[in-house]
Amino acid sequence: MTLVLDIVTTAAILFAVSAGLLVVFGVMKIINFAHGAFITLGAYAGLLVTQAGLSPWLGLPLAFIAGAACGAVVERIVVRPLYTRALDAILATWGLGIIIGQLLTLGFGREVQFVQSPITGTLTVFGEAYSAYRLFLVLAALAVGGGFALLLEGTRLGLNTRAVIMNEDLARGLGIDSVRVRFITFALGSGLAGLAGALITPLSSVDPAMGVPWLLNAFMLVIVSGASLLTLALATLLLGGAQVLVSTLVSPILGGLTIVVLAAIVLRLRPAGFAR
Amino acid sequence: MKEVAALQIEGLSSGYGASLVVRGLSLEVAPGEIVALLGKNGMGKTTLLRTVMGYLQARTGHVRMFGADMHDRPVHARSRAGVGYVPQEQALFQDLPVRDNLRLGLADDRQMQGAVTRIGALFPFLPARLAQKAGTLSGGEQKMLLLARALMGAPRLLLIDEVTEGLQPSNIDRIAAVLRAEAEQNGRAILLVEQHVGFALRIAHRYAVLKGGEKVAEGEAADPDAAADIAAHLQL
Amino acid sequence: MKRMAAAALAGALVVAIAPFVLDGYTANVLVRSLLFGVLALSVDLLWGFTGFLTFGQSAFFGVGAYAYALTATQLGVDGFLLPVSLLLGLLAPAVLALLQGWLSFYHRATPLYASVVSLVVPAVVTQVLYSGGTFTGSSSGLTGYDMPDLSVPQWLWLCGGLLVLLTAAAAVFVRSDAGRLLVALRDNEMRCAFLGIPTTRLRIGLLIAMAAVAGLAGWLYAAYSGVVAPELAGFDLGTQAVIWVALGGRGTLVGPVLGAIGIDLTSAYLSGSLPFLWRLLVGLAFILVIVLLPQGLFPAIGRLILHRRRAAPVAPPALVPAATATARARGEALAVSDVARHFGALPVLSGVSLRAAAGELLSLVGPNGAGKTTLIRCLSDGTERSGGTVHILGQRLGSLPPHRCVALGLGRKFQTANVFDSLTVAECLRIARATIDRPSPWRRAGTLALPDAAMEVVQATGLDRLLGEEARLLAHGQKQALELAMVLALDPALVLLDEPTAGLTRSERLQIGGILRRLAQDHGMCLLLVEHDLDFVREISTRMVVLHQGRMVLDGTVEEVAASDLVRTIYAGEPH
Repeated sequence: MTLVLDIVTTAAILFAVSAGLLVVFGVMKIINFAHGAFITLGAYAGLLVTQAGLSPWLGLPLAFIAGAACGAVVERIVVRPLYTRALDAILATWGLGIIIGQLLTLGFGREVQFVQSPITGTLTVFGEAYSAYRLFLVLAALAVGGGFALLLEGTRLGLNTRAVIMNEDLARGLGIDSVRVRFITFALGSGLAGLAGALITPLSSVDPAMGVPWLLNAFMLVIVSGASLLTLALATLLLGGAQVLVSTLVSPILGGLTIVVLAAIVLRLRPAGFAR
Repeated sequence: MKEVAALQIEGLSSGYGASLVVRGLSLEVAPGEIVALLGKNGMGKTTLLRTVMGYLQARTGHVRMFGADMHDRPVHARSRAGVGYVPQEQALFQDLPVRDNLRLGLADDRQMQGAVTRIGALFPFLPARLAQKAGTLSGGEQKMLLLARALMGAPRLLLIDEVTEGLQPSNIDRIAAVLRAEAEQNGRAILLVEQHVGFALRIAHRYAVLKGGEKVAEGEAADPDAAADIAAHLQL
Repeated sequence: MKRMAAAALAGALVVAIAPFVLDGYTANVLVRSLLFGVLALSVDLLWGFTGFLTFGQSAFFGVGAYAYALTATQLGVDGFLLPVSLLLGLLAPAVLALLQGWLSFYHRATPLYASVVSLVVPAVVTQVLYSGGTFTGSSSGLTGYDMPDLSVPQWLWLCGGLLVLLTAAAAVFVRSDAGRLLVALRDNEMRCAFLGIPTTRLRIGLLIAMAAVAGLAGWLYAAYSGVVAPELAGFDLGTQAVIWVALGGRGTLVGPVLGAIGIDLTSAYLSGSLPFLWRLLVGLAFILVIVLLPQGLFPAIGRLILHRRRAAPVAPPALVPAATATARARGEALAVSDVARHFGALPVLSGVSLRAAAGELLSLVGPNGAGKTTLIRCLSDGTERSGGTVHILGQRLGSLPPHRCVALGLGRKFQTANVFDSLTVAECLRIARATIDRPSPWRRAGTLALPDAAMEVVQATGLDRLLGEEARLLAHGQKQALELAMVLALDPALVLLDEPTAGLTRSERLQIGGILRRLAQDHGMCLLLVEHDLDFVREISTRMVVLHQGRMVLDGTVEEVAASDLVRTIYAGEPH
């Protein structure tokens, strides 16, 4: 039973961490390698809030804002000129990740720090005591996914965004400012990365390099999902589930590799991944 | 005083990479006027429209819309200035329902109700099919949806790329009637790119023939010699 | 060539005197920097030349390093064991590269996917090293093993000599006829495949070679430093190598080597005093270069110093006639039976059957979306069809990938001019001949052999006077002619042409039309031509086939088809 809960909560965490990357990839067709750094940034935003003695809940919106603001600046200065050079955009965002990581190191030092959790204790689910915060993360992931679905399906901005995803030239011809859509998307995706950073830190710890391992998993999940939130949810459940199983039953070290290796093999056999 | 042209193209050249596909072309379309641009495939018709829309940078020359120079204006700004563009291929969002395709023709969702009613009068099949995916419409219906979407925002200038290709005569008649009425009753300027000479001469006021990216002939569509003139210039 | 020799000599000289002028610490660090230079060189060949952005060369460096450390720890490296260890240091990375190559490169793989796999490989290797217990030393790595008895100056000479040698060899190779293949792969992999070049095998082969090079550098690193750790195989070193190459100047060989040495040396000095600030500066410089100076620093500085003085252009080769398949079979060139293609539930082609003999010029007409280009795809790539059979010169097409289809005797000209933009006209033609006249890996041949048909196109369109010109500088019509000549250089029996006259001027169209007719009449080729322009088709074809909505609706002589009512309706705009 604990195993099932582990799988569901792990999938939820992976979903929250990957959603921002997916959105950017879907609209802009580029991989934001600064995503890991934005996650770290969000984590430090959460840390600042707890250090200031404020409620840990405040850390979540603050992390989102920090990520989004940083993303907005980055889009304008670095990503926009590289829009037609997808591989160079990967490189430049990776460089950005280095810069953000070093700035955080200069500001906060290299040491590992801990963040207070907004929810402590356990809940009893199906007769098992289970970490309440991990369960909260499932709600958080559902909220992120649901919020996105609502934004995409229910608003005009969402319709414009989907139009840009499906056929950018056509969307422009219909009066949609695709540059603005990309800008908003990148800021939003970065904000989500920040939020994810603040969400995951109570489970682990904060240090300037924490985003990198997350980045690799998120990256593989996004590539394997194509550009759909639904397939991302499926991919996190399947691959995240496999990770939990391997970690528990075989070895945690191999577990850490499960997602990347499985995703690479899935893509080799089926280049569209989990997308239809 | 002379009326300001809806579209004024002056000495326009453009192309891809090292090659020029449109060479020094000039053309004007006045409000309420339909101008047909005839030419075979590969003669630069689509390239011309893409340059007018701003997808391609003009190498030389000017594009003015409603008197304003469009140089450096991005595609979406040209569209919002009151231009409806009907591209030739893959121009519908196949996976979106008809309703969303039409919505995308409008800048403001609040005008949706009125616009759908207006468009429904022109293409009666549409209002009943709003929930259907655009990709499941027949070829002729898709072409009409394209035109309907371009008319949603009541553009002052319509740029139409080969709307009759592959259509049955009855659909062509429908489109001819709609375009003629939109120009005459609502004063829309229409630049029609066509291979179908009969259709073009039926609805246009003026015509021009494009060959190798250059304008090789032009005249009044009502001129009894128009068809012969065009045929002579279309030969290889 | 002279400049290259001078550069190599200068490099050797610097290496020779370095131990006498450098202080101990610098010399010590420099050995590592030189080995990183070798690593950067391997990244540059892959990324700068073939366009494969790899973050994973560090994996091979790490495996090479562990090959030394493990043999030294487990067996020792005395006597014959040293070459055994070296062999392992080359072979183990090569085997890993074979696996990575199989995962990364296949027909229709995307460049992004190959980069993705290159991220996975170092992640896997480091985790394996972490979980190796006392055998690999886990996170603390291995140390205290036997090392060769060499002094620091000797190490400098060894590693410096190796770096100069490898760089010079790479420079000779990339300038050779075979080396141009790498650039052709980067410019247009699909065109390569449709010239019969086994692109997948080529990419995997190069990756294996570069893995061995990186492995050798790692092996030496372990032997020199006396300590290995899992980080050597990690993603971080892999991305650093990419940074060195980008800053130095991708595709320049020397630039990346200097980039690696410069950055690694500087960071050895600055990481003590300003560790984080230094990485910050490198990151900043990296972004600036990527955004503003994508060609890197080395070429930019070179231009400043040399005032745009470029190396004298290499004289283009002389054209000579090639032996052609004189006894071309006069029989059936193409037999298509019941071919279908659908995308999901959407049928694009169904039930197409068609035969064509040598000497025929068959035109395929129909409105946009009728499935003409799809049919051409199904005939030239065995993996495209959803159903039916295709025979080329009596041989089954099966599900062969494009380069094997080409080997059956077909050539395909694409609709838009597909040439290799950064190669010269002569180089493009030589790539087209690569499967027939194996190009030399170390020199440029003085002659270029072309079959009659290709020669005729080259001469008729004036390309013979532009042999040294880069293809991207050609006019549109010349590019189209060049691609046609490249296809004909294969000496194909069946030629598929997708709108070869699109965007051409009238006189160019007439010229191409005449050439096509002669290819069928005089050279006995079978031509299948997709064309929009009915007048053009009427003038040159021996037969016409009409496609409409994915089905073949007519197959007959030019007169029959042109006179049919159906064609009049389909082409409603035709003046008559």
